[in-house]
Amino acid sequence: MLRYLLSRLLQAALTTFGVMTIVFFVMRLSGDPVLLLVPEGATREHIETVRRELGFVQPIWRQYLTFLGGLLNLELGVSVVQRVPAWDILASRIPYTLALAGAALLVAVGFGIPAGIAMAIWRGRWFERPIAALVVTGQSMPTFLSGILMIMLFAVTLRWLPSSGVDGPASVVMPAIALGMLSMSTFARMARIAVVDELSKDYVRAGLARGLPLGKVVTRHVLRNAAIPVVTIAALETGNLLAGAIIVETVFAWPGIGQLAIQAIQSRDFLVVQAIVLFVSLVYVAVNLAADLLYAGIDPRIRLGKP
Amino acid sequence: MSLAANLRTRLARAPASIIIMASLLGAFVLMALFAPLLAPFDPARQSLIQRLRPPGHTTAQGLTYLMGTDDLGRDLLSRVIHGARASMLVAVASVSVSLLIGSALGMLAGWRRGWIEVAIMRFVDIMLSIPAILLAVLAVAVVGPGFQTLILVLGLTRWPRYARVAYAQTLQVATLPYMRAAELAGAGGPRLLLRHILPNIAGPLLVVATAEFGLMILFEASLSFLGLGIQPPTPSWGTILSAGRQYLERAWWLTAFPGACLFLLVLSVNVLGDWLRDHLDPRSRPRG
Amino acid sequence: MFKRLAAIVMALMVVTAAAAQPYRDSITIDLPNDAATLDPHLQWDTDSYAIYRNIFDNLVTRDVSGKIVPQIAESWRQVDDTTLSFKIRSGVRFHDGSPLTSEDVAYSIRRIIDPALRSPQLSQFDQIASAEATDATTVVMKTKAPYPALMAQLVKLSIVPKAVVERIGAQAFNLQPVGSGPYKLRAWQRGVGVTLDAVPDYWRGRPPFDTASFRVVPDVATRIADLQTGRADIVRQLGPDEAVRIKSDAKLQVLAAPTERIGYMFINAVSGPTQDVRVRRAIAHAIDRKTLIEALLQGYGKEVDVVLTPANFGYIEGIGGNAFDPARAKALLREANAVNAQLSFLTSPAYDRRLVEALQQMLQEVGFKVDIQTMDHPTFLRRRQGRPDEAGSISLGRWSCACQDADGVIFPLFRSGSIWAKYANADFDKQVDAARATLDEAMRLTHYRRAFEILRDEVPGLGLYQDFAIYGARREIRWQPTANEAFFLFDMRWQP
Repeated sequence: MLRYLLSRLLQAALTTFGVMTIVFFVMRLSGDPVLLLVPEGATREHIETVRRELGFVQPIWRQYLTFLGGLLNLELGVSVVQRVPAWDILASRIPYTLALAGAALLVAVGFGIPAGIAMAIWRGRWFERPIAALVVTGQSMPTFLSGILMIMLFAVTLRWLPSSGVDGPASVVMPAIALGMLSMSTFARMARIAVVDELSKDYVRAGLARGLPLGKVVTRHVLRNAAIPVVTIAALETGNLLAGAIIVETVFAWPGIGQLAIQAIQSRDFLVVQAIVLFVSLVYVAVNLAADLLYAGIDPRIRLGKP
Repeated sequence: MSLAANLRTRLARAPASIIIMASLLGAFVLMALFAPLLAPFDPARQSLIQRLRPPGHTTAQGLTYLMGTDDLGRDLLSRVIHGARASMLVAVASVSVSLLIGSALGMLAGWRRGWIEVAIMRFVDIMLSIPAILLAVLAVAVVGPGFQTLILVLGLTRWPRYARVAYAQTLQVATLPYMRAAELAGAGGPRLLLRHILPNIAGPLLVVATAEFGLMILFEASLSFLGLGIQPPTPSWGTILSAGRQYLERAWWLTAFPGACLFLLVLSVNVLGDWLRDHLDPRSRPRG
Repeated sequence: MFKRLAAIVMALMVVTAAAAQPYRDSITIDLPNDAATLDPHLQWDTDSYAIYRNIFDNLVTRDVSGKIVPQIAESWRQVDDTTLSFKIRSGVRFHDGSPLTSEDVAYSIRRIIDPALRSPQLSQFDQIASAEATDATTVVMKTKAPYPALMAQLVKLSIVPKAVVERIGAQAFNLQPVGSGPYKLRAWQRGVGVTLDAVPDYWRGRPPFDTASFRVVPDVATRIADLQTGRADIVRQLGPDEAVRIKSDAKLQVLAAPTERIGYMFINAVSGPTQDVRVRRAIAHAIDRKTLIEALLQGYGKEVDVVLTPANFGYIEGIGGNAFDPARAKALLREANAVNAQLSFLTSPAYDRRLVEALQQMLQEVGFKVDIQTMDHPTFLRRRQGRPDEAGSISLGRWSCACQDADGVIFPLFRSGSIWAKYANADFDKQVDAARATLDEAMRLTHYRRAFEILRDEVPGLGLYQDFAIYGARREIRWQPTANEAFFLFDMRWQP
C-alpha cells in the first residue's frame, strides 16, 4: 500500500511537471506580452528594449530552465503585467474559486445523482422522460446564454438575487447553478447507467424475487456497486469546475481563477497562467489519487499493488 | 443476429418518444445536408436598413423574413439552417477524433497494464488537468481560429475523457473470469480487444460520446462568445447565439429560435444515445 | 466537505461591495476590467486610468472644451524652443500629509523617462531630456528638440510623492499608491474592484462623493443588468445598441461624447493586392460611411474623411476625396486587373464584429473576396505590427494617442519606419517630421494639410468615423464626458 502511494505521488509529480512543460511551450509559442505593455505609438527600439529587459529575447530553452529553477525553489516569479508576485494574484482568487466550485458541485451532485437514480428505477415509464428532458436542459444551453437569462429573470425582473459580483452568499447562487448544470447532466446520466446496469444483475433480480423492497435493494447494494463510474466522473469534473468556469465567471463577474485565466492568457501574463495551471493540476491530481484509492475501497477486485 | 438486423427489430418496438427523437435528429441532419436548398435567402446577405426585424416581417419588396432578421439585417431562418451545418460538423468531427484516440488508448492501458498503462494514463492525467477551454483558447491563439483548428483543438483536448472511461471499464471487464479464459484459449491482443472488450465497454463510451456531442456544440459556442469560434460570415448556432444575447430584450427571436434548435438537437442525441445503450448492448454480462 | 468549505469561504467573503440603493454620498462604477496597476507611471490601459487618475493630480489638465489648463502647474512659460519653465502650485498635500513640492514634480518626470522603470508610457515622454527643480516652486524641463505635442503629453503626467516611492519601492507603491488627488485608496481587491475614499480637504474643494467603488464586470450585458438593478450607478464602455437599450429605461440615461479616438481602416500598401494604389482607392470608394454610422453606430460616430478627429490639433476640414462611389470602385478594380482580388481582413475580438462583417459585405459588393481572420488580440497586434506580408490586407483600428494632436496619430501610423506603417512615402515623412519639429502652429497646419493630401491620394489608411465614448448612468448623475475619455469623479454630481 505504501509503495503504491509513493509510486502514485511520483506519478503525480511527473504529471504536474508534464503539464507545466506543455503549457510553458504553448504559451511561449503564442507570443509575448511586450506589445500589450507598450503604448500604441511605441517605437521599434522601445519595444525591443522592453523585450530585452523582460528576458523574452533569450533562447526558449534558457527561459525554460530559468522557469524550472524557479519552480524548484517554489518561486513563481513576479508578473510583468501587473508587477505583483504571480502567486499573490492567484491566491487572492482561490477562495472565490473554491466557493463557486463547491457550490456548483453541490448543485451537480445534489440534483444529478437523485435524478439519475430516479430515471434508472423508473426506466421506460412515462415519467422518466420529463426528468430526462430536465437533465438534458442543463447540457443543451450555452452558459453565456443561460447565465444572462437568469440575470434578467432573477435579478432584473424579480430582484431576488444580485445581478453580479460577490456580495454575500446570495451572489453564488446563480453562478453555481449555471456552472453546476453542465456537470449535473453528466452525473445524472452516469448514475442512471450505473444503476441500470446493477439492476439488471442477477443478485438484484434474485433479491427482488425474494420480496425485498426495491428501495432497500438500491440503497443497500446497487448504489455501492454503481459508485465507481460516478466517482470517475466526479474526479474528472474537478478540472472543469475549477478553471472551466471561464464563461460563468465572466458573465457573473465572479472573481475566480477562470476569469483570471482568460485575462492572463489575453494579456500574455505567462507567470499567472502558469501559476493557475500549476494550482489546477495539483488539485486535479490530488482528487484523482483520492478517487483511485476509493476504487480500491469500493471494489477489492481492482489490484492496487501492481501498477 | 447482425447489428443492423438487431437495430431494425429494436426500432420497430421502440416507444413513440424514441421515434420522435429519431425523426427530429434526422430532420436536423437533412437540414444540415441540404441547407443551400432549404434556406430562403443567402445567410450572409446583409441589409443594414432591415436590422432586427421581428419574425414574419415583410419588406416593401414583398420579401418575408419568417424568423426575422439579425443585427446586420440577415435572414435568421437561413442562418439557422446553415448554422446547423457548421455546428453539427464541428461536433461530429471532433467527437469522432477524440472517441477514436481516447478509446484506443484507454483500452490499451486497461488491458496491457505495465509501463504502457502508466505512460498512457499519466498522459491522460496531464491532458485532463489542463482545463480544456484554457488549452483551446491557447491553441487558437497559436494556430489561429478556423474550422480545422476547432476540430483539431476539440478532438485533441477531449480524448482523455474517453480514455479514462475506456480504461476504467476495461479494468473491470479484464478481471472477469471469462476474459482470462479467452486469453488462455489463445485469443491475441487486438482480437481480444476488438471482439471481447470493445463490445463490453461500448455502452459507457457511447454515452460519453453522446454527452460530448452536445458539449462540443456548446464548446464551439463558448469559443464564439470569446470571439474565437467559426469565422464569419459562416454562421454556426454558437455564433448566432453569442451575437443574439446582446439583444435579449430588443430581439428575442435572435436567441429563441437557434436556442430551441440547439436544445432539441442535444436532447434528441442524448435520448437516443441512452436508448441505444440500453437496447443495443450486445454484451451478455456474466451471471454472477 | 466541499459544502462546509464553501460555507466557511462564503462567510469570509461578506465584502465591502457597493450598496444596491443609490446612496447619495457614494457612487459605484462598473468597469470592464480590473486595473492592471495603480501606479500611474506603470500602465496605460483605459481601466487603470479611469481609477488612478482620481488618486493623482496631473501636471496640467484639459477643461471641458479641451483647452490645456493648469492643475499642479499654476502657469508655464516657454523659455526657448527646447526649454519650458513650470511654476508649481503651493499648498497641495499628498494623502500622507506631506506637501507636494517642485522636487516631486521633477522626480515624477525623471521617473517616467528612466528606462529602468520600463514604463509603458515611455515613448510618450521620451522627447524630454531632463527636469530640474530650480527652486521650491519652479521646475525647468528640457526637450531633446523642439516638441510641439509636449504640453498635450504632459496632460497625462501624474505627480507621485518622491519620498514615499523611494521609501517603499515601486512594487509596494503599486499596491498602496499615495497621490494628491481628490480620492485616496481604501482597498484594492484584485479582480473584484477598487474602493476609494474622498479627501475632504482636497485643494480644489470637497469631492462630490464620500466613497467611490469601482467594480470589475467584464460582460457588457451584465453591466447593463447592474445598472438596471441599481448595483451600479454608472457603467463604462457600452456599444451603440446597448445605448439604445438604456434609453428605453426611464431611470437611466446615456452619457456620450465624441472623443479623439479615430475609427479607421488600415490598408497594406507594401504587400499583397493592395500594393496597387488603384486597389486601395477602390476599397475607399466601396465604403459607405454614412450607412455604417447611421445603421450600426446608431449615430454614435461622426463621419470623417481623414485619419484624425476634429478633437485633435492638425485636423484639416475638407480634404475630401474617396467618397462612397461603388461604380468608381468597380471601374478601378477592372483597371487594376484585380477583380475578385483576395483581401485578408485581420481582426480580433477587440473590434466590433458587426462593423467587420458590414465592411466585408461592402467590399464584396464591388468585387473583392474578403477573408475575415479573427485572432486573439496579442496575436493580432503581433501580426499587424510585424512583417508587412503577415499584416493582412486590411484591418480596423480605433486609435487614440490621448494627446489630441495629429503627431500622435498619423506619425506612428504612417511614418515609414514605424511599426504600424506598411507604407513608405518620402514626401509624407518630410511633412510629418517637419510638423513635429516646429512650435509654430500655422506652419504645422500647413504641413499636416499636405500630409493629409498625400494620404488621401495614396490611401494607406482610411478614416471612417470619430469614435464616441458611451456611458450608461442613473438619471440623477450629472456629468459631461470629454474628448480625451477622462473619467474624473471630481467632475460628477448627484442631482435628483
